Order: sequence, then structure tokens, then C-alpha cells
Amino acid sequence: MITTQEFQYLPSEHEAEKASNSYLMSLLAIIAGLPLPIINLIATFVFYLGNRKGSYFVRWHCTQALVSQLTVLLMNSVGFWWTISIIFSDEVISGRYISYILTILIFNIIDLIATIYTAIETRKGIHVKWWFYGDLTNLICKS
Amino acid sequence: MKKLLLQFLAILIIFYATWFALNSIDWMHIFNVEQTTKKTEEKLGDFYWDLLNKTESEIQSVEVVSKIDSLLDRICLKNNIDRNKIKFHLLKKDEVNAYALPNNYLIVYSGLIDECENEAELCGVLSHEIAHMEKHHVMKKLGKEVGLAVLISMTAGNGNAEVAKRTLKLLSSTAYDRNLESEADITAADFLMKANIDPEAFANFLFRLSKLNGNIPKEVFWISTHPDSEERSVKIIQHIKDKVIHKDSILSIEQWNSLKQEVNFK
Repeated sequence: MITTQEFQYLPSEHEAEKASNSYLMSLLAIIAGLPLPIINLIATFVFYLGNRKGSYFVRWHCTQALVSQLTVLLMNSVGFWWTISIIFSDEVISGRYISYILTILIFNIIDLIATIYTAIETRKGIHVKWWFYGDLTNLICKS
Repeated sequence: MKKLLLQFLAILIIFYATWFALNSIDWMHIFNVEQTTKKTEEKLGDFYWDLLNKTESEIQSVEVVSKIDSLLDRICLKNNIDRNKIKFHLLKKDEVNAYALPNNYLIVYSGLIDECENEAELCGVLSHEIAHMEKHHVMKKLGKEVGLAVLISMTAGNGNAEVAKRTLKLLSSTAYDRNLESEADITAADFLMKANIDPEAFANFLFRLSKLNGNIPKEVFWISTHPDSEERSVKIIQHIKDKVIHKDSILSIEQWNSLKQEVNFK
């Protein structure tokens, strides 16, 4: 799911720190944004905008940090509105709802672990490419 | 690009497969969701009834209660509703009011019986309240307006008396939202038709009371808190239109008249 690869060039200490920060940013945003899933996307997007003129290594990792959140955002949004409809409308707690919440919990934990690992490795200047999201980033982010 | 689409499809498949696999486990049983909800409802119902029992006087005359019981028996029997679960209590009060409390408590005020012109009208109101019970509207309303946390704390004995009184007032003197009221009306009409009771009488009862509009005495709670009664009566008429209705009275005219006399305390 996650592979480490040689980057086109060896990133400097400063670049590695900035790239790693993009994952830390998304990590903090996930925690802060859990009650309202859109917050983490906005926070990461703002960080991405701030670094879109940075070096290729920094831009690439900011982009990967951003796109890797899209699927989790969708899953969490459905979970969030489902919960709201249970609290405020006629919807009731069901086995389907509980299993959905557990499913998104598993996906969020996987995302959290992958993000922490990537933040640590990127800080060392190692290029970490995620399955699917890495290829998607390659498509979006050009050198 | 094709590789990306395939990878995305794989993520979707993994997601749905996980959800599907987890869905095969009976989480409701594992987390005791139904049992906890049922216990909370039981405790709340008993709690509210105790509160009501202390402040209101109940009519326990066998003569009176047995007549209303026979109406309830017919509605429940013909609609496969467990009659034993409904805890019916008739209170001596002028207000034209009836309401359902959690745990299937059905409270009827003597003023309501006094206002009804025939047994079918009374059966209409009883069916409407039973529909609220059967559709679990009572707990939905409480949960929405008060919050489940407050309800659970009340059943644990931590709730203060003021909150309990306020929530009881909410159940006894405010309507459910429009959708729930409408659902209860249509379900009540179905209950009545199955029980061979004229649902048109229920619509007429709503229509008659709606004509008191602007001139509603304070005592006519059931109608003043259930707005759009005319619109509701029209909906019931539309629902029963073209349906074959068998009418089979439960009480004789003498029994109905004696019931009206027995609850008339004016």
C-alpha cells in the first residue's frame, strides 16, 4: 500500500521538514475536524495553497496529503450526516449504521497510521508514495 | 489513467466489502441497543405515570373503565396489537385531551369522552394515540426535544423534578411534528377500518373541533395543540375514499349514553 522510492533529486533538510509538516497538518486537522469532517480538508487545502510555489518535493507531498484525505472525507461526511439525522430526525440506530461507523473507523485508523509513518519518513527526506494516491499525485503535480 | 480508475474501484470494493462483512454481525444485540432503549422507555413511562398519579385523580370505576376497555380490545384484536401492553388510565379532568406516554401508557381525560358524540369518535382518538405508540413516536419526540442524555439521567434518578414536569407537559400538551401527526392519523384510520369502526367519525370529530377555531376554550387541549385539524380531517376522508367500510358498533346506545353520564362531572 505504501512504497518508498528514490525521488528525482535529494531533498534538502528544509524541504523535508516542510513536506513532513503537510502530513502533520493533515493529522492535526483530522483530529480537530472529526466532528465536522470538512475542516480537515479546508486546513490541508490552505496548507497546500501556502506551499504551491514551493519546491517540487514539498508540492508533491502537500498534494499527496491533500488527495489522500478526499476518500476519508467522503466516508466521514456520510457518517456525520447519518448521525445528525439520527439525532434530529426520524432515523434510528440500526445494525447498518453501527457497521458503517465501524468501517469508517477502520479506514480512519489506517489513514492515521499511514499519515504518521509518512510524516516520519518524509522528515528524513525519504520519498513515500501511497497506493492510488501517489499515482493520482503524479498526475496532478508536475515537476 | 485506467490503472488509477481500477485502483479507485478497488478502494470502493474494499470499503463496501468491509461494511458488508461488519453488517453481518448483530451489533444491535452486542451493544444491547434495543434492550437499553426498551429499559429507558419502561423506566420513563413508569416515572411519568407516578408523577401524574400523584397530582391527578384517576377514575377506576369498573363500569366506566370496562366500556373503554371493550373499545380498546376491538381495536387491538383486529390489528394484532398486544392489548396487555397498553396501560390505559382514565383521569378525571375537564380538558379534552388524550396522550401517549413512554412504555405504552395511554392517558385519557374524562373531558374527551364528554366531547365525543359517539363511540367511533372516541375510538378515532384512541387509535390515533395507539398509532403514536406503535410507530414509536413518543420516544422519538422526547429524544428530539429533550435529548436522550437527559432522559437516561432522569431514569437513573438524577433528573430534577422541574425537568420531569416540563417533559411531561411536553407530551401532554404539545403536538408531534406535522409528519408524525399525519402518519398517526392515517394509521389510526387503517386501525379503525380493520376494526369495523367508522373512520369518518374521527375525521368529523377533527372537523367539528377545528370549527371552534379562534374560539377554542382553554380546556380543548387535544385540538388547540393539534393545529391544521381541518386539513387533517380532509386527509383522512381522502384516505378512506373508495374503501369498503364495515361498521359494527361495540357499545349499545344505552351503554354509550351511560358512559357519557358517568364521566360528566360538570
